[in-house]
Amino acid sequence: MTIRRTWWAWGFLAAPLLAYGITVVWPALYSFAHGFTDWHAVGGGDFVGLDQFRRMAADPSFLRALRNTLIWTVAAVVVPTTVGLALALALNRITRFAKLIKSFFFLPLALSLVVVGQIWFWIYRPEDGLLNIVLNALGLGSWGHAWLSDPNTALWAVMVAWGWQQVTLAMVIFLAGLTGVSRDLTEAAQVDGAGAWQRLRAVVLPALRPSFVVVTSLSLINALKSFDIVYVMTGGGPFRQTETLAVLAYRVSFKTYDFGYGSAVSIVLFVVSIVIIGLFFAWNSWRDRHA
Amino acid sequence: MPETVLAGRAAIPAAAGARERSSKAPLVAALLGFAVLFLVPCLGVLYTSLKSDADIAANGLWAPSGNLTLDNYLQAFTVGSTGRYLLNSVLVTVPATAISVALGTLAGYTIAVLRPRGGELIGFFLLAGLFVPPQILLIPLFQGFNATGLYDTLWPMIIVHSGYGISLCTLVMRNFFRSLPMELRAAGLVDGASEPRILASIVLPMTRPALAALATLQFTFIWNDFLYPLVFTRSDTMRTVMVGILQQQGQFSVAYGVQAAMAVLASLPTVAIFIAFQKHFIAGLTAGAVKG
Repeated sequence: MTIRRTWWAWGFLAAPLLAYGITVVWPALYSFAHGFTDWHAVGGGDFVGLDQFRRMAADPSFLRALRNTLIWTVAAVVVPTTVGLALALALNRITRFAKLIKSFFFLPLALSLVVVGQIWFWIYRPEDGLLNIVLNALGLGSWGHAWLSDPNTALWAVMVAWGWQQVTLAMVIFLAGLTGVSRDLTEAAQVDGAGAWQRLRAVVLPALRPSFVVVTSLSLINALKSFDIVYVMTGGGPFRQTETLAVLAYRVSFKTYDFGYGSAVSIVLFVVSIVIIGLFFAWNSWRDRHA
Repeated sequence: MPETVLAGRAAIPAAAGARERSSKAPLVAALLGFAVLFLVPCLGVLYTSLKSDADIAANGLWAPSGNLTLDNYLQAFTVGSTGRYLLNSVLVTVPATAISVALGTLAGYTIAVLRPRGGELIGFFLLAGLFVPPQILLIPLFQGFNATGLYDTLWPMIIVHSGYGISLCTLVMRNFFRSLPMELRAAGLVDGASEPRILASIVLPMTRPALAALATLQFTFIWNDFLYPLVFTRSDTMRTVMVGILQQQGQFSVAYGVQAAMAVLASLPTVAIFIAFQKHFIAGLTAGAVKG
């Protein structure tokens, strides 16, 4: 009986493992191996040891992309967990129009980053973009700006567009988590004379810990992968100021066909991802033990 | 959830209820206002898609307009190959969604329920894919698809999404199966039913809600994907919709109204599915809250 069951278990796993092996494991290992070569699209490429990584240390494009990815990651941790949580807490308090308001907030989740990027590109247009129109109407015309072509604002402008969608995702997860917060417990705390702020700190936030973990890991994963929105809105410009590691890896690989360097950049992206997410999980389990 | 809130408040005297309601009116108004503001980008693109070129040229992209038209939508199909792009997206998204969900269900079920020796480890191995950035897969896959003659067809996107999606699908289904009571499976075992039979006729019927939610998610991801078709296709006839509309705009200076119409057309399937799914979503939340 158990032998037959084991046999079937491996039978069931065969197809997923094969597909995963072909599309994820093999390519990842292949890239790992080729980050140590000077491979260009044509010809094989020779083993060059750590040369590609040394090249990165001296490459301003790489250093900027690394910095941008890290900025993006920090924003991805801070903004959805605060704004998303605030929205979820507020929405959880109301009953009238709650359904309508929620569906308004949920809608951006269905849009692709290509469309999100296009919409925000229009919002940021210097001549007739919505943002500058609104600033003018508020008498702040002097703040008007070519948001996406000014190196000082371009990265932030793209991140705001991205955050517009990411906040909604966080809100959905927090709302689901809030339904699990026992109403009896919050009401008991209320009877005991706990104020709104105390109830939030002592009852609601601890109960939302699992939602925090989900929101933060999802935002981190999405931030580290951020490619589409940058590609669509700025193409990495102006002067490569908005390139992330994901955009740089693509450009090096498929615009200049420098496959060796492209592989090396994608290895760094992978390692950075694992380190950041690993640190987050480690911090999380440390908190679980010291709660 | 609204029902539970009302039920919970029923015990509070009417006067207190009324006071509570009126004290929340500003919050409701503020949230409603913020929600509308949040929707402005979506409404803007929809509105632009209905304005004429002359209008946009004269008054700007965001200016209000008196006469609206559907011309841009007709043009989206005649100027560009929007119809072809949409068809390609369907041909990629439907099979890739079905395959990734099926493979994830098999893996999730095996890891959570059959639990072979080493199953947990296989589970971690499959879930690790969630943290693998797609960029690290592109060059080898690009070379592989070139070598097999699949480059510049729809196959690369179907294959890659079917495989890369397994991580998420396995995670969701494993968690779902862990929460399912498995007494029914035991009944099947006693009856001497084979494992595939138990899976097909006893377990799968119970998974319908999870499958629906997961399929919605995967459909949205795959439909909205931009990176794989960008790298694995070259000719206009093989583009899926997200790359297609963007390239169209780059190559020919397409009028803004038509660009907006293309964006709306490209978003319609996922928005429609999302709206349909949202009812399930909220119903699920409500049921959970009432039960708890």
